[in-house]
Amino acid sequence: MQHDTENPKIYSGPLVAATLALLLAFFTLMVSHHISRLTKELDKIIHSYGHWIPGSTGSGPDGSIGSYTGKETLAIAVWLVSWLIFHCLWRRQDLSLKVWTRLFVVGLLAITLGFFHPISDPIVLFIADLLGIY
Amino acid sequence: MPTGEYRHDHFGKAVIRTQIAIALSLLLLLPAANFFYPTAYNLKAGIHGVSAILAVIVGTYLTHRAIPLIKGMQVRFESLRLWVMTATVLNLAGAVSGNWIYMRYRGQEGPRDWILAHVPSFHNVLMEFKEFASLFPFPLMVAACFALFYYGKSMQYRRDIARFLGITLLISWSFLMLGFVAGLVLAKLRFV
Repeated sequence: MQHDTENPKIYSGPLVAATLALLLAFFTLMVSHHISRLTKELDKIIHSYGHWIPGSTGSGPDGSIGSYTGKETLAIAVWLVSWLIFHCLWRRQDLSLKVWTRLFVVGLLAITLGFFHPISDPIVLFIADLLGIY
Repeated sequence: MPTGEYRHDHFGKAVIRTQIAIALSLLLLLPAANFFYPTAYNLKAGIHGVSAILAVIVGTYLTHRAIPLIKGMQVRFESLRLWVMTATVLNLAGAVSGNWIYMRYRGQEGPRDWILAHVPSFHNVLMEFKEFASLFPFPLMVAACFALFYYGKSMQYRRDIARFLGITLLISWSFLMLGFVAGLVLAKLRFV
């Protein structure tokens, strides 16, 4: 027979940590993508993070994936590091999943639209203009 | 009028399973044909196509497993964990092979050059969207996998956690479909 005491208390914190981390990773992917499109120098900087990935550089018919590798690297780094930090912080926390579900879905939707150039380009160019990046 | 649960008999199950087997085989022929396409990149294209379509199939099946989770019903936990693990591996294979074939897409006189010359918006809007949206399902499945292992069976005592897991599976599927359809359109325009 099962008693309630046999069921260890479980916390929603680790689940929020895991999903917030991937939201931040997708956000990093979006920001690094738009930064790399602004100037050749910025693209080079983003690209430099991805040189460890096979096929990150090269030319000819076989091609290369270019600065896409740098964007992936930055996103993976943010994903794993932030996951670890949030997990340690919220291991024993019960956070409202009702509120988080809404924030998570809206956040994902906003980031997804951020990859849709007809919508994101005017915003990116406006911000770049403010910062004086050409 | 009695409204008990409808259960398929053995014949009904056999019909459904046969239909699924035929449909899956035919669907797999679509990307498997890439292996026989006369280019130097048929192996890369075939592997990416097959892993992508398998990820879509498993991801689609998982949307059916997500509904009981969202409704707060008890689920067959071990089986769900196995399917989510399979989906995670397939999504990783799809992303890695996607990186691999993307090199040729960007290569000299590759699909990107052709598309930019003829229908530039398909690269500038669709591909620039697809290359990132296709990366989303894998980490989403990793998060789902993590939840299933971290909480174990006790997860079913927390309806909100099970519900969030179900929603994560549905979201992962929607990104899979976005990436898959965009990929099909690009491959239709210009094959590697």
